[in-house]
Amino acid sequence: MNEQTTQEFDFKDEMIDEKITAQQEAIENEIAREQKLISDLIKLDSLLDEYSLEDTIYRSKIIELSANFSLVRKTRGDGNCFFRAFGFRYFEAIMGKPDEVKRLKDLANKICTDLNQLGYNSFTVDDFKDVFVEELERLADKSDVKLLEEIFNNPGSSDYIVVFLRLIVSAYLQKNADFFLAFIETYQSMKEFCSHEVEPMYKESDHIHIIALTNALNVSVGIIYLDRTDQTEATPHNFPEDSNPNIFILYRPGHYDIIYKN
Amino acid sequence: MASIASARIKREFREVVTSDELTRCKIKLELLNDNFTELKGEIGGPPDTAYEGGTFQLEIKIPETYPFNPPKVRFLTKIWHPNISSVTGAICLDILKDQWAAAMTLRTVLLSLQALLATPEPDDPQDAVVANQYKSNNKIFLKTARHWTNVYAGSTSAAEPEFDSQVKKLVDMGFDSHKSRVALSSHLWNVEQAIESLYD
Repeated sequence: MNEQTTQEFDFKDEMIDEKITAQQEAIENEIAREQKLISDLIKLDSLLDEYSLEDTIYRSKIIELSANFSLVRKTRGDGNCFFRAFGFRYFEAIMGKPDEVKRLKDLANKICTDLNQLGYNSFTVDDFKDVFVEELERLADKSDVKLLEEIFNNPGSSDYIVVFLRLIVSAYLQKNADFFLAFIETYQSMKEFCSHEVEPMYKESDHIHIIALTNALNVSVGIIYLDRTDQTEATPHNFPEDSNPNIFILYRPGHYDIIYKN
Repeated sequence: MASIASARIKREFREVVTSDELTRCKIKLELLNDNFTELKGEIGGPPDTAYEGGTFQLEIKIPETYPFNPPKVRFLTKIWHPNISSVTGAICLDILKDQWAAAMTLRTVLLSLQALLATPEPDDPQDAVVANQYKSNNKIFLKTARHWTNVYAGSTSAAEPEFDSQVKKLVDMGFDSHKSRVALSSHLWNVEQAIESLYD
């Protein structure tokens, strides 16, 4: 192969790159049209429609679950689903409780100070914190589910809240790097892990994100694992382990939705 | 949504143009329209590199979904670098793709691009020809990059006069000077091979 053809290849590669980007954008736009960021409340049973009759493992686990859980809110599968599900459900749990709202607001301010000390630019960080706190304060004195749904379905506020939750995880992991470093494999430093796996939008969440977020905010969350393993019951897992959560998130491989206990 | 992006750019713009650090690092940012969607960036080539003394212009486009998606950036100034296309100026840099985070700013981008000029990543190339040369003929790569910096980015350092005379040979034969330079650069400055490729 002579050099000239390599040059042409390179140019073609770029055109392919552009096409791939355009196609990805088209797919994302379609998902955005078809699925809200946070859905209305739906019955847990309706999840059965997603599985064929032969899919006995999932079906029996869902039926089993419906003894204790009855309602679900689906989240858009855009890689932010854990953060958005958690954010929505946590805001929902504390709305109309001014003391809890104040506690979270103070914590948010403190986390900003931590982030500044870690070298984060205060004006960008504050941007996300400000929106987070402003939206939270709109719910301080009233339980208004319609307003909450509006806040989390408007990308302008919803994405800001997701970014701030990501920053909370990043700050917590970096501050406690000595402990968490043992759990990350392919990265040299916690800073590097956070800039690759936590801070970018649309990056999916793992155990470590959940541990960090629940610890940082001192909130207890139960994750219900619904997968293809043989156990008959869907496995619940509480964060922190010995806690007694009232916020529950349903995990199916690759995706998190909100689930409500009876 | 556009207003979120433009409000953010407004604030970033103030930050970049007022910061001392950025004057020291030879970084500039200029607005091209009133709704903050198109900007022009400028970075100085880092010292002790083949790009030293050069000034590189960048096209910056702000998507409606900024800062949740990265700005679209490409080099307007022609440059010989493994991670930047010598043809289109397209850039291969992780933070401009899937490693972008909303807490980053145009300042982060400009400084990262400057860092990229200082430390190319030939194993993650944008321009295969350049990356190949960087790895297998690093001396020629450095001279070629310096030459391009001299011709296109206005540096006054080592001009590699023998390269100029080789380009002139091809121009005298009727070839376009930029095309001649690309052909020579891609063929390790072998005049015969370059001419052959131009006839292909």
